[in-house]
Order: sequence, then C-alpha cells, then structure tokens
Amino acid sequence: MTTLSFSLAPRAIYQLHDALMCLSKFGDSVAIEAEFDLLRFSVLNLTKTAYSAFVCEAETFFETYSFGVAMGGGSSRAANPNKFSCEVLIKALLSAFKAKSSGRDKDTAIERCEVELQEGPSDVECKLIIRMICGLGVIKLYKLNYEAVHVQHAVFDKSSATNQWSIEPRYLKEITDHFGPSAEQLDVYSNHGKTVFTSFTTKIAEGKEVLRQPVQTSVAIDKRDFEYYLAEDNLHIVIFLKDFKAAIAHADTVDAMITARFTRPSRPLQFTYEFEGVKAEYTVMTRGEAPGDDLPDSSRGAVPQLSARQTPAPVRVSQRSTAPDTRQMPPPPSRSRSVRPLTGTATRASQANTESQRPPPPSVEFDSLFVPADDDGQWDVPNEEDEAPAEDELGWDATGDQTSTGPGLRNTQPSLEQPTREEDEMGIPPTQRMSQLHGLGLFD
Amino acid sequence: MRFRTQVANASTFAKLTASLSSLGKVCWMRLEEGFIRFTIIPDQGTQVWAQLPVDSIFEESTYVLESNTGVINLEVPVGALHRALRSAVPAKLSSLRLTKKGNIPLLALTIRTTSWTTASNALGIPDSDRASSSSTPTTTAAAAANADPDPDGDDSAGTAQPRPSGPRERETVITQEIPVKVLHESAVEGLHQPHCRDPDVHIMLPSLMQLKSISERFTKLATESKTVAAGATSTASPKLELSANMHGSLKLAIVSDAFSISSVWTDLLNPSLDTCGLEQSAVEQLPSERLRALPADDEAGWAKVRIDGKDWSRVLSVGRLNPRVVASFINETALVLYVFLPGSWNDEESCLTYYINSYSI
Repeated sequence: MTTLSFSLAPRAIYQLHDALMCLSKFGDSVAIEAEFDLLRFSVLNLTKTAYSAFVCEAETFFETYSFGVAMGGGSSRAANPNKFSCEVLIKALLSAFKAKSSGRDKDTAIERCEVELQEGPSDVECKLIIRMICGLGVIKLYKLNYEAVHVQHAVFDKSSATNQWSIEPRYLKEITDHFGPSAEQLDVYSNHGKTVFTSFTTKIAEGKEVLRQPVQTSVAIDKRDFEYYLAEDNLHIVIFLKDFKAAIAHADTVDAMITARFTRPSRPLQFTYEFEGVKAEYTVMTRGEAPGDDLPDSSRGAVPQLSARQTPAPVRVSQRSTAPDTRQMPPPPSRSRSVRPLTGTATRASQANTESQRPPPPSVEFDSLFVPADDDGQWDVPNEEDEAPAEDELGWDATGDQTSTGPGLRNTQPSLEQPTREEDEMGIPPTQRMSQLHGLGLFD
Repeated sequence: MRFRTQVANASTFAKLTASLSSLGKVCWMRLEEGFIRFTIIPDQGTQVWAQLPVDSIFEESTYVLESNTGVINLEVPVGALHRALRSAVPAKLSSLRLTKKGNIPLLALTIRTTSWTTASNALGIPDSDRASSSSTPTTTAAAAANADPDPDGDDSAGTAQPRPSGPRERETVITQEIPVKVLHESAVEGLHQPHCRDPDVHIMLPSLMQLKSISERFTKLATESKTVAAGATSTASPKLELSANMHGSLKLAIVSDAFSISSVWTDLLNPSLDTCGLEQSAVEQLPSERLRALPADDEAGWAKVRIDGKDWSRVLSVGRLNPRVVASFINETALVLYVFLPGSWNDEESCLTYYINSYSI
C-alpha cells in the first residue's frame, strides 16, 4: 500500500490553483508523481510538442508531507518502489481548488487543505481525498478518482544548452499583448543588440484571400531588458505562441524571473523559473532556421521531395519505468510531423501545408492575456455571436480551408512564410504597375 | 505609388477604425492630398462614408502621397487595422506606410514606445556583487560605475555580466503588418454616396451613450419576449421605431405582441440648414420647414423610421469618438446621421455620414 498525505496553507492552495490553471492550457489531465521529497504535477500535450511540470518541494511548499510505500507490493507499479504516480482530470482537481476565489466571505475562508490518497484493492476504489478546512467548522470534501499510470517526462539536458536568456516575464507579456488573437506561432531571434519577437500564422491566402492574411506583428526589445543574455545572433527559434503565453502568464503572476535555454532549431527549448518552493519547467519543441548552413541537421539541404514520413523529431521522451504497461504511450502519431524540423525553403513549403491541415488547436481562452479593455470597450456592440471569432481574421474558416491550401500554392509559400524579413525594406518604395490592377472589384 | 506618414492622433484613428469595424470587415480607404476617406458598404446594413482632413489623424508635414492619379485607393481589413492601432495608442511615435512583401501589399505600422524600467537602483549605486567583488579603492569603483553607460549593452551578445540595473528608458519597436489590396481607380469610380431627398426632420441626437443603452435594453426585451412567445428563435432582430419632429422631440419606441415601450427626449436642437444659395420661397418649400410650421402637438409633424436594433447598436458605437450627431429623418425611408468629430463642428470637411435604411412594417 502506498500512503500519501499532505496539507497546504492558504497561500500554497492559491499557488497550486494557479499552477493547475496553467497546466490546463497544455492538456486535460495532470500527472501527479509523488516521491519522498517532492510532488510533481505535469502535463504532456496531445501532440507531444510541449511538456510542462511544476515540482513542489516537500520541505518548503507543504505544511506537512508524508509519503510511504510498502516494499514488495504486488502491483505493477513496483518497478520503481520509491515513487507513486497517477493521473487526474485537471478540471476535477481545479474545481476543488477553485474555492479560493470565493474568499469574499471571511468567516468561511479556507484555512487549510488536506489531501490524502486512498488506494483500494481495485481501481474503482482508488480515490484522492481533498479536504478543504474552512472557517466556522465548514469542511468541504472532494473525492476524485485517479488512474495509476506511468508518466512520461520530456528530457532536457541543461548542460548542453548553448543559448540562454533570462528576463522579467512582464516584459514578455507586454510583447504578447501586441500580438493578434489569431497568431499561432512565435519566432525569436536577436540581432544588433535587439531581440525580435515575431508572431505569425502559417496560413496562406491568394487573390481575394489576401485580406484574410493574418496580421504579422514583430516587437523588438533591447537586449538590455534581459537580466542575462547569451545567445547566438540571427538564430531563429520558432515555438507555439500558445505555450509561450501560458508559461509567461504564470511566471508573471508569481513574479519570477523566467529563463529560456535552447541549442538550435528542432531541438527542445526549456523555460524555467522558481518561486516559493516550486520549480516550474516547460519543455517545448522548436522549429526555425539557423543562421549558417553548417549545422549537422539531417534534413538540411534535402531535396524538395522530402517525405513527410521522414523520422519526426518529437520531444525526446524517456520512459522512467522499464516495466511494460498497456498505458504506455504509442509512438508519435503521424500528425506529430508538425514538429518535424523546418529547415530548408522547400521543406518549409510542405510544412506549411501540413500545418494548415492540422486540426485547430484546442480552443483555450487567452483573452485575459491581451490588452485589457479600456473604457472604449463600452462602445462595442454586444451579442456579436454572429460576428467573426477574431477581429483580424476576417471570417477565416477555422476548420482549415482545404481549397486554399492545396499543393498548387506551394510555390508562393516561401515568400509568404518568411516571418522575419529584415527591417531594411524601409528604403525600397513599393511599386505596382497600374496595368496589373485592372478588374479588381471593391468589396467583391 | 508611395504612401508614408506619421500618425499624429493614434487614439482617434483607433477609435474611428473600431467604430467602422463594427459595421463591416472591409473598408475602402481613399488617400488624397488633404483628405482621407473611409467607406464601408456592407452587403446589408448601414453604409458609412467618412471624410477627414489629413491632419485630423496624420502628421501633415510627414504625409507623403505619390501616385499617377494623385489618389491611392486601398481595400483594408479594418478590424485588423484597428487591432494594430491599439498598440500605437500609448506610443509617442508611430508611422504608417504602404509597402509590400513578396506579392502582398501591406500597410506597415511601425510604433516606437518608451517606458521606464523599475527603479530598483534609483541612486545609481553600482551593483552589490560588483561592489563586493571589487576590493579596490572606492575611486576605482566609481570609475567603473562611470564607465558603465559606455558599452550601452550592445556588446551583450556574449556578455554574461550583470548590467547596471538602475532605472532607464527602454525602447520597444513594434511593427504591425496589415495586408491590404490596392484598388485601381476604375474599380471605385462607380461607387457614390447614396442620394436621397431632402429630409423631413433634422435633429441633434442626445448623448449617444444614453441612446445606445436604452436602444440595447429595448432590443434585448423584444428579443427575449419573442423567443419566449414564439418558442423558436427568429433570425430577424427586433426593429426599433425612431421618430422626431421639428420641435426638439425624439422618440425611441419598440412594439411587440407583448408590449409597447417608448422613450421621449425633448428640448433637443433642430439645427437650421445652410440655406444660402436658396431663395426664401424655396427654403419655405423644404419638407423640414413645412413640418416646423406645424404645431408641436401635431402628430403629422413627426417623421418616423424603423431600424434594425442590432445594426443601430453598431452604428452608435461611433459614440466612442465623442462626436456631435445630427440625424436627418426621411419619413418611412431612411435615416442619415451626420457625425462631426470634436473640434470639427460644422466643418463640412470632417464628417462621418451614416446611411441607414428604414424597414417597412
């Protein structure tokens, strides 16, 4: 029998709630791993491109913490006797910890939270008992079912990361505030004392569709804004904006300096920060383009017919346990090719196509991360459910318009997809022959 | 073809585009020497024709417009433009130019914002680790502190050294690239402002905020009662009845099977028309003057239009610009709003004109 019980002070309850909120942006269920000196909450997303984990130290984060395993137990989890792991739906866990927001009533405010694991002989009886002890003797009791699982971790070798920077998350948050709500990806590179963050979407449009092109936003900040900066110039790293926003939003709420470590495109990038006995880490897959052609990247310089079947480069995942388990995750499905290294111009074209056919990402509300509505908002029209979902999307079909992403458009792709065109376009005046413009109707 | 300018009044520009974007997704932006025009012609609903002098939103001295015809016509996704302009509102300096990337013409909005870092080292004292690590005399430490600003952080590509953390101005450069379409003159020459007969009543509208909230309240009530009564959701949104007379009264009403409500404003201003060039007899023949002659309590003195509640709410979103609005009623036909931006009262050059069709019963 495994025994696990711990208790939390109100402040830790809030922090756990915030951490779970952040994790819920990566997946639906959270893996909980207990060891003698720590408790880890982690989520690996469905496409296995992002892994996020919060490690709570037993000594500092909890009021009390006790974990014990009976040696020689016959369960399948005996492979690692010093560890217990299970999986719980984040929503269920959040609903228990959500109570923090109802702190208006001072008398029945939460004073303590006790969590206990109840392992039964059959899976049905396995429960996580959460006891919220409130004022005036009110006790809120939650019993959640859990599933014992083996947990996969994204491995990241900090010592081999050649690039690193640290910055206050509020600067990054200011940057993302300028991005459009429909932007999907983020390109980061530095040049001449500036670091440029560019948001873009790999959607293509032609002809009448031109106006549906997403707005591309780039924000350049001074390297001096970073607390620490040691990274190669002109190294383009591309990650999903959603993951980036989730990480910086949480880092901002706990006001912790965030550090990014990475080596080169198509290798994982890791964000880390620490606060009050909790270590947060986010390991995300990157795409992008290196400045030189000298990197030993297998797909660099490949012929245009680069097959989509080429070995994908998913987040490197190691199974901590060697025991065979039916719940072990299958090899990355074919759709995970969206994390395939994106290196050559030609491969980028086909990449964009797979990208646009990818099912839309789960709809997570990021509204709170954007520029807060000022007084101006009262003039907005209410009940605009019949309006476009995103204001700069012009009614783009979110299900992915197959007709506009057909292979015929590949030729146009490289120029459209170039997210980081240098600023020096300034000097070249736009020219367009009038003769090319006949027959363009207004509002057609 | 060249267009480049600095944005002088990003806040007004952002509010203008916000109001326009509630009525349509695509806007025809016509750049001329001296004027900018914004036009929205949606498939259905209200048309807007806005004309502004260049200096109301742009810095006239930096306004560069080069084109064979002296005019540039652009088709602009106005919502995206608005979103981009929101970044420019708090900024000191922003510029807008027409450029292209590949085959796609773009309006590139470049914004420079500055802010102050937090004053963690307000007195400019050298970093503690620097001070503690230097066992040298204080004069050397002071010299090191003085030398600090010189490197300016530009050599930082490889430096791991902590920088001075005192407050300083930090600059952020934001570039928003909005895809646009360049329209040939021939594509727009067939577009004209709607023509309508002389109005029956013209009246200054009361506070748009008040009008908007009451209108929305009415619309909501009617929508709810309709869905409850009919049990099925109807796609048509409720129609508001808006009427006015030449004696300063405006009435907003809604009638449904279940109820009939109305709000009446009185003592509003009926502005006099610019009648120069018209003979006295012709002026007296104007419909509005005939209605003015009728007594205030005469029902015949009212002009009425029926307008779509939701569309009206979108139109009233122009209230964010804090304008003065004259409504011209053409009985049972149309409502035309002349929206004058603050500081441009009675200035024909700067006016947003809304054309709203009246629905028949």
